[in-house]
Amino acid sequence: MATAELAVDAHVRYFRHCLNMLPAETISLDATRMTIAQLSLVGLAALSRLEESVPAGQRKDMIEWIYAQQIPSGRAEYRGFRGGSLFGPHDACNYPAANCGNVAATYSALCALLLLGDDLARVDRAATIAGIRRLQQKSGTFAPHPGTTERDPRFIYCACAVSAILDDWSGVDIDAATQYILSCCSYDGGISQIPFQESHGGLLYCCVASLALMGRLDALPDRHRTLQWALFRQCGGGYQGRINKAPDVCYSFWVGASVSLLGGQELVDAPALVSFIQSCETDIGGLSKWPGYRPDPLHSALGIVGFSLCRPDVLPRMSPELLLPKTVVERLLHLGFRRSHKLCADA
Amino acid sequence: MRIESSESVSESVPLSQQEEWKDVTPIPQDDGKHPICPIAYTDEYREIMDYLRAVMAKEEISERALTLTGRVIQTNPGHYTAWMYRKRLVEELNADIAGELDWVSDISAMYPKNYQLWHHREALVVRLLDPKQATEEQSEAELLRHPVIRRELQFLDSALNEDSKNFHAWLYRQWLVRTYNIWEQELIFVNTMINEDVRNNSAWNQRYFVHLQGRNPTQVELDSELVSDEIVYAVENIKLAPNNESPWTYIVGLLLRHAPAKLYTELLPKIQELANDKDYSLAMTTTPFYWSALVDIYEKQARASPEQGKALIEQAQSICHSLATEHDPMHGKYWEFRNKSLSELQL
Repeated sequence: MATAELAVDAHVRYFRHCLNMLPAETISLDATRMTIAQLSLVGLAALSRLEESVPAGQRKDMIEWIYAQQIPSGRAEYRGFRGGSLFGPHDACNYPAANCGNVAATYSALCALLLLGDDLARVDRAATIAGIRRLQQKSGTFAPHPGTTERDPRFIYCACAVSAILDDWSGVDIDAATQYILSCCSYDGGISQIPFQESHGGLLYCCVASLALMGRLDALPDRHRTLQWALFRQCGGGYQGRINKAPDVCYSFWVGASVSLLGGQELVDAPALVSFIQSCETDIGGLSKWPGYRPDPLHSALGIVGFSLCRPDVLPRMSPELLLPKTVVERLLHLGFRRSHKLCADA
Repeated sequence: MRIESSESVSESVPLSQQEEWKDVTPIPQDDGKHPICPIAYTDEYREIMDYLRAVMAKEEISERALTLTGRVIQTNPGHYTAWMYRKRLVEELNADIAGELDWVSDISAMYPKNYQLWHHREALVVRLLDPKQATEEQSEAELLRHPVIRRELQFLDSALNEDSKNFHAWLYRQWLVRTYNIWEQELIFVNTMINEDVRNNSAWNQRYFVHLQGRNPTQVELDSELVSDEIVYAVENIKLAPNNESPWTYIVGLLLRHAPAKLYTELLPKIQELANDKDYSLAMTTTPFYWSALVDIYEKQARASPEQGKALIEQAQSICHSLATEHDPMHGKYWEFRNKSLSELQL
């Protein structure tokens, strides 16, 4: 059934290509290979084709590669997972800032491990959580790694997702993180990257999903207006990321999942969104940002997951708060973790 | 010291054949036997990364290391620890900051969506011009003549000229305005940007930022006259293009937050007058934004004056109905939902 609506085989080939070899033009993604891996695996899982496309032996190898990116020792703030092997062999470096974990990579690594069927037994939980704790700022927001002045809700989200997956919230000051997110709520009902920045669909997702994971969605000052802002991003079928911008297929997930978390899934014009997502499918497999452009792993995976949020009848159900199939989130339960906060009720 | 002075020469010859690099043993990347998402590296990238790992591993502070980080970042701007290292090198080598700013401008032109470069730039500017001292000792007019501020404003002009909605550039602009207290020129700038493109929502957002001067919206009382002027300004811009979401969300959002009564005492008569003016009537009554604003206004008014509440709610509901069926069918389900919520409203 799904095959009639999406070019599933072509997309499977595309994601397999991404997992096996990326072209030289993607060198700028070298530090975020973990995320590309996560997205390629999510794309396959969302099409229900992960197990058959990636044989058990290869899955095992992938798990080894991911664990090889876990920083094995050193001070807490440098621990967690790094984005790829470009930082060098762990034992070759005496400069901790040169080879450190990154909370975004840690989040991607945990999701990728779960998608591959790993039980997270080799994750150094204590170090990971201690690292997160060190990255939270006084204002409540998070830095991605030590030493940078970068900080914004993308990393609050990653910290929350890691805490939810490991079922250990001792690394997050939930009140402070919530307060920071509320300070990013804009006059138009949307949410931004820092107070007063323009509302943005990607940051909306990070903030809404963080609140959902922390069990704090009710803290939003005007949840109805935020939902309205999100729904109004649907224009010409697809979602735009900001007011008066062209629709872009990645917001099928960023805005689509936010709408779902805010309880508005039934209010979406799903047929129009599905048509837009289909118009972004490319001949070589994968999806592009806009119709007629080249595919990339992010837009491909997020477009397909956005599709599944609209059409749970044809694709596996996905968790809007964790970018994982619901079956994987359910398995998290059976791994012996207590389920934290709202995640429990939804699975 | 000039930065990257010998770059054009050194780039053409592999580092392994250069006298300057003879003493360094490159550290190859260990990607394991079965890497995920390997990238087809170019020979040049592979080599500069091997040497970068070697100098970073021993925390070498040298001009050649600085040049090398420049080459790596130009190829892979997402290399977050290379940015950290470069920041340190610039500081410890006491490198020419103006030259470094030029280099950042080049990176920005190549990779306008990169996050790290803006943080790097921010740190450089603060080193050149101490914010505390500058704002204590100099007026806004003096600061606007200061070469550091002038260069940053020019840099932002060119970034926004390239993409008038560049999210990072606006964010950086907010940082600059707030840090150096240059609020008055900013309103002039915002006016220019809105005149150039009335649909530039980033500029409308900046307008809100300027009026609040970055203060906590829940604790700021805006001057009543200013609010009234903003109503006039928004309506004048609505006249130029009624089907433009930006001025509508701007003024409704601003009033909901700061002067809700003015929604019906001032904004309502002005937009109704336009809707009844033969020159604007067609454009006004066919844009969903006009009707959507009326729903917000009537709902607020009903809550404030319960004696007319029932009639106002009925009006709002009838508008929701026509939005769903006629003016805004893409959000039809939302308008039906809104209609239902209005019927359940307890006044």
